[in-house]
Amino acid sequence: MTVATSHQPTPADPEPAGADNWLVVGGTALTWRSLPTPTLPDPAAVLAHSAVHALTAARQHAVHGTELLLSTESRVDAVMRAELLEAGFTVSVLDDDGVHPSAPARPRTAEPGRLWLLTSGSTGRPKRVGHTLDTLTTVRADQPDRTWLCPYAPGTYAWWQVVTLSLTQPGQHLVVVEPDELDDWPTVAAAHGVDAASGTPTFWRRTLYRDAEALARVPLRQITLGGEPVDQAILDQLREVFPTARISWIYASSEVGASIVVHDGRAGFPVDWLDRETPGRPTLSVRDDELVVTSPYHGAGLAGPIRTGDRVQVLDGRVLITGRLDSDEINVGGSKVSAGVVRGVLTGHPAVAWARVTGRRAPVLGRMVVAEVVLAADPSAADTGVPDEAALVRWCADRLPEHAVPRRIRVLTDIPVKETLKSDV
Amino acid sequence: MNELSRAQIRDLMAQVLKNQDKELPADDAAQLREIGFRSLDFSELALRVEDETGEELNFDAPGLRRIATVGDVLDFLVDLQHQ
Repeated sequence: MTVATSHQPTPADPEPAGADNWLVVGGTALTWRSLPTPTLPDPAAVLAHSAVHALTAARQHAVHGTELLLSTESRVDAVMRAELLEAGFTVSVLDDDGVHPSAPARPRTAEPGRLWLLTSGSTGRPKRVGHTLDTLTTVRADQPDRTWLCPYAPGTYAWWQVVTLSLTQPGQHLVVVEPDELDDWPTVAAAHGVDAASGTPTFWRRTLYRDAEALARVPLRQITLGGEPVDQAILDQLREVFPTARISWIYASSEVGASIVVHDGRAGFPVDWLDRETPGRPTLSVRDDELVVTSPYHGAGLAGPIRTGDRVQVLDGRVLITGRLDSDEINVGGSKVSAGVVRGVLTGHPAVAWARVTGRRAPVLGRMVVAEVVLAADPSAADTGVPDEAALVRWCADRLPEHAVPRRIRVLTDIPVKETLKSDV
Repeated sequence: MNELSRAQIRDLMAQVLKNQDKELPADDAAQLREIGFRSLDFSELALRVEDETGEELNFDAPGLRRIATVGDVLDFLVDLQHQ
C-alpha cells in the first residue's frame, strides 16, 4: 500500500544540516527550509515538472525518508512508467498545482530511507539502482563556503552529488539552472556569485565555445568535470581562463559511486593508484582493458569488484579512461583503435572545440575511423588558421598510427548535447 | 540514385592522394603499389563515394582481391554502385 508522508518536519524528523543554505531557482532565492512541503506518496516515483519541484522532493526525502525515485517526465517513457507502477511506486507528477499520482499496479510497503536512481541508459534501457542519502553523500569533510551551480537534470547521480552536498553541509549554496537557461548560465551564475561549478566536458566545451568571455566573468574557484571521458585539452582550456581555480575531475556512476577524484590538472590518474587498498576508499583495477571498481559507495545489491564497462588505456604513467568498452574500441583491419585517444588528438588541435570519433563500415578493413568536429568560435584566431578536412587529417597523421587516423571528418555547426549534458562522444 | 561517373570517382581518388601530398597518374594502368594507394586509401575512397551519392555500397560484393591498378579501382567502384 502507499502511505502519504506527513508534510511538516517534526522532532523525530529533523531538518538536514544544510537547511538554511540558500537556493536560487528560477531567479528566486529561498532556502531548503523555506521550500514548500507537499505530501508525497510513499514509495513515490516523482516526475518533477521543474527544478524547484525536484528540490522539494529531495528535501521531503531528507526530512522524512520517503522512499523516492526522482526524475523528469522526459526521462521516463511509457515503458519505464509501467515498470515503476509494476514495482509498487506511485508515479507522481509534481508541479505548481501539487501532486498528480498514478496508483501502483502492485502496492507494497515502502522501504524507509531508500533512494532510487535511474542510470543514464547509455548502454540500453535505464536501470534502477538503489541508494540512500548516505551512500550518495561522498563529500563529508568540512568544505570552504561555496555557491555551486547545479546544471544537471533532476534525479541523476551528478544532480544528487551537488544536492546532497548542499543538504548536508552548512555553507554550500546552490544556483540551479533550468534547461532553458543552460545556454546563458554564466550570466545567471555571475549575477548570483557562483564560485563552484560541476559539469560534463561537453557542458564546459559548449560554454567555452558559445561565450568564453561571459564564462571568465564567473568568479569560479572550483571547477569540476565528470560524466564523460575528460581529456587534457578541456582541462588546459579551463586552466587558461581560470589560472588559480582548483580544477578537478571525478569518475562516478550510479553503480559504484564517486570512485576517482583528480586535482592535479591532468587527464587520467596515476598508474600507482591501481590495486591500492585503503580502508573506506574504492579500489581501482584494470581487467582486460576495463576499469574495475570495488567501492564502499556502490548501489544496493552490488558488492565486490564491479566491472564498469569503461575502457582504460595506460599512457605515460597515467590511466586514461577513454570511453565505453562497447563503443570506444574500433577494429580497423584487425588493429585496435581507441576512439577516446583519437578524440583527444582532435580536441588538442587549437581550432577544434569538440569532436566525436566513431567507426564506420568500410570495405577491406571492416571498419574505418571517422570523426565529426565543431571548430572553435573563432578558429581563425588559432595559430593554425581555419583547418579544412585535409589539415585535420594531417594533424592526426602526425600524432597517431596510420590506421587510427580519421579519414573522413565532418564539420558540425554546434556542439550537440543531451539532457544529461553529455553528447555521447 | 545519384550515381558517380568514372571521371568523378577518379577526381575523388586524386583527392585522397592529394591529401597525402601524392599525385594520381593519368594512366589507368598505374600500379597501386607503386603510387602508394593502399587499403586504407581504398576504404577512404569508398566512403567518399558513399558520401557523394548518399547511398551505402555493398562491400560484401566479390572481387576486391583482383584490384591492382588505378583502372581496377575505378571499374570496381563504378560496378559497385549498380549492386
